[in-house]
Amino acid sequence: MKKMEIPLSENLGHGHLACAGCGAAVSMRLTLKALGEKTVMIFPASCWSIIPGFWPYSSIRIPVVHAGFVTGGATASGVRAALDIRGDHETVVAVWAGDGATFDIGLQALSGAAERNEDFIYICNDNEGYMNTGTQRSSATPLFAWTTTTPVTKPKENPKKDIMAIMADHQIPYAATATIAYPEDLLRKVEKARSIRGTRFIHLLSPCSPGWRIPSEITIKVSRLAVRSRVFPLYEIENGISYTIREEPHVVPVKEYLRLQGRFSHLTDLEIEVIQENVERTWERLTRKASLKLK
Amino acid sequence: MTKQFVFKGASQMPMISVSLGHMDWNKTGAWRAQRPFYEDKTSPCSAACPVGNDIVGFIQKITEEDFEGAWNLIREENPFPGVCGRVCFHPCESKCNRREYDEPIAIHALERFVSDFASNLNKKIRKGPGARKNKIAVIGSGPAGMSCAYHLAKLDYDVTVFESSSLAGGMLRTGIPSYRLPKDVLDREISNIAELGVEIRTGIPFGEGLNLDGLKNYQAIFIATGAHRGRDLHVPGGKGRGVFSGLDLLKKINLGRKVTLGDKIAIVGGGNTAIDVARSVVRLGKKATILYRRSKEEMPAFGEEMVEALEEGVKIRYLVNPIRIQQKDSLHRLECLRMELGEKDESGRRKPVPIPGSNFFFEADNVIIAAGEEVELFFLPKGLEKREGIVLTQRDGNTGARGIFAGGDLTSNQRTVAHAIGSGKKVALAIDCYLNGKDSEEALRQILTGEGPSISMFRYLHPQERLMNPHVVTFDELNTDYFEPSRRQRETKDLIKKRIKGFREITSGFTEGIAMEEAERCFSCGTCVGCENCYVFCPDASIIKIGEVLSHQVDYDFCKGCGICFSECPRGVISLKEEAR
Repeated sequence: MKKMEIPLSENLGHGHLACAGCGAAVSMRLTLKALGEKTVMIFPASCWSIIPGFWPYSSIRIPVVHAGFVTGGATASGVRAALDIRGDHETVVAVWAGDGATFDIGLQALSGAAERNEDFIYICNDNEGYMNTGTQRSSATPLFAWTTTTPVTKPKENPKKDIMAIMADHQIPYAATATIAYPEDLLRKVEKARSIRGTRFIHLLSPCSPGWRIPSEITIKVSRLAVRSRVFPLYEIENGISYTIREEPHVVPVKEYLRLQGRFSHLTDLEIEVIQENVERTWERLTRKASLKLK
Repeated sequence: MTKQFVFKGASQMPMISVSLGHMDWNKTGAWRAQRPFYEDKTSPCSAACPVGNDIVGFIQKITEEDFEGAWNLIREENPFPGVCGRVCFHPCESKCNRREYDEPIAIHALERFVSDFASNLNKKIRKGPGARKNKIAVIGSGPAGMSCAYHLAKLDYDVTVFESSSLAGGMLRTGIPSYRLPKDVLDREISNIAELGVEIRTGIPFGEGLNLDGLKNYQAIFIATGAHRGRDLHVPGGKGRGVFSGLDLLKKINLGRKVTLGDKIAIVGGGNTAIDVARSVVRLGKKATILYRRSKEEMPAFGEEMVEALEEGVKIRYLVNPIRIQQKDSLHRLECLRMELGEKDESGRRKPVPIPGSNFFFEADNVIIAAGEEVELFFLPKGLEKREGIVLTQRDGNTGARGIFAGGDLTSNQRTVAHAIGSGKKVALAIDCYLNGKDSEEALRQILTGEGPSISMFRYLHPQERLMNPHVVTFDELNTDYFEPSRRQRETKDLIKKRIKGFREITSGFTEGIAMEEAERCFSCGTCVGCENCYVFCPDASIIKIGEVLSHQVDYDFCKGCGICFSECPRGVISLKEEAR
């Protein structure tokens, strides 16, 4: 077994307010290692409005702009323009938005910026719900999951929105999925995004211990099973056309991923079967896109 | 009308709240309900090793391409890696956690590789000019005696080994055929021990030329004379002409003496000696048939050697028991009974029960009895307590007579090379305690590997180093997500045709590349190898590195006790304990 090589720099400082075992804190720590010091981050409303600390303190060691829920894409466009006016084309502008600010509330601003191919990296830190406000459903919440607004008597009826397909159809230069159980893959994708100009989109799956009803020590394990069960495949899309899928050799039934999580504990075998079929269909669609060649 | 704003400097810009202070004052460690900490634990292989080898330790050295380091680690506990790598029954591999994943690590082959590597370097331990302390006599130069002599010499004792035979090595020399253990390997390891200043005096049988009175100058005596007498079959004709003891025959062959045998050989017994005899006589151009009174499952011989014996043309007839050996000219007729298996006996194996009237005859030119071995007791000093054919001792080898210790096959029915080496080591330590007025029972307890009986000489000498929790890591405590299935490497064997032509060693050791590949498969249960999963996955950046190196320290000011490091550690090195409230 090889030692994982990750940069030593720490730009997520101590004392932050993330819950114990927070998947997003791991995501942030790794992402900041890959982005480096010359970065400005935009935080639309999310857990990350709280986690860094409260005024006049912050545990994030690079400049951060807190922004309104809807405004991730727009604020980033503005910060980029301001830096460009000052002749600073080097500093990276990155949005760190939750799934609420990406899939739902900020989708318009993101879509607008992506259509203009604004020069920033948009990172969606997806924990599949409005976790900061106490676990309400978002359009990133998976099928049949429990949230406070989709109780077990009436769990979520709709599958998760395919945000990657939406972003790919904007024909942006780079879009990728990544998750914390695969740190080297995550770092490589963020570094690759950094080396490209235009709108880059990274979809990060960050398991949430309280929201997913899982013990704090298994957030990495759950992240790994999300990939192994193909619930969350790891792939890249270049220019909206060229797909590269990371083939995961240890494929497991979706049940292994679901049974660890309290938010799925009410599922019947039949519902698990439906989820399994969904996952297989999505995987097939993805692999078909990956093998699509222009004649 | 629109109004244009022109800001003359930052002071005129609208107020915006800015956070410039850090959060380091916020000691999130106060949230913690459970505390992770680093704690190396015991691997199942090391705990199962009767010799007490630091198996994970030496295998990790191989992965680092530090073969000499591996050799040094093995030699802390075991002067016979070349012997053990070839003939040990490797209980370590039976306990290897990787067995539950795919296939166990080929630990024996790695040990052999290290010893072969060291011999190619002509690598030897040299004795420093340390002042010699007390004089110790060791009776018997087998694995127990030589292991004891080795460790005593390293503890700066003046050791003399007395051997009745003309060559040192005991059963390693006379009992194990050289196609399994080449004589040069044995010679090399014995001479390595002699290099430490151990005097080996051969041709001096204990009880004849030498007795306790003649050893008055020695402050302690270790008796390890082994079990060299073949057990009788107790059947009529069992001592006739042309009926030999398996051990005697092996001894003759191994010492290069002339052996006269007919063509068709019957071997009675089912242990390793029976197999060794059968394979040896096949190499002398004879036909060998083993007669065993139970079935294959009960056979005490090691599985792999049985397979090799069958490959080489040895026949085995199960559930057959000779009741009479008749001789007619040079031919022997064995009258046998067929057996069936009954209830379990005290050995836990099903007892063979004769089928009445099933008598039949088996003809052979010679009959070799290999029905187990016994201790020769007549020459032992009076006053030693004996029971059921072995000498009784305390746990540390003390016989009860002042300064007289015993070990090896003489005191145990677990008659393997590894147990003998471990027994010699234990006695070396007991003698050191005895001569220094220390409590050996307590000393032994302190240095158990796992729950024992395996012990660590390193820990005896360096009680504060390489600390390790005795807890033996189980398969369930590993995180195997970090390992990939891989095939166990196998040593190559000569073609059967070539094997049976002589007594040359039949297996070839690993190359450096293969050894490193195999070592890489080791899970390293309980020992940190610096994979840094704990550092990589910590959400609170609370795993402290010093420079680029993991410090194995947790920053408890900020660690929230999530337990990710605990569950992502592939090898069970990190423990969790509940915080006091």
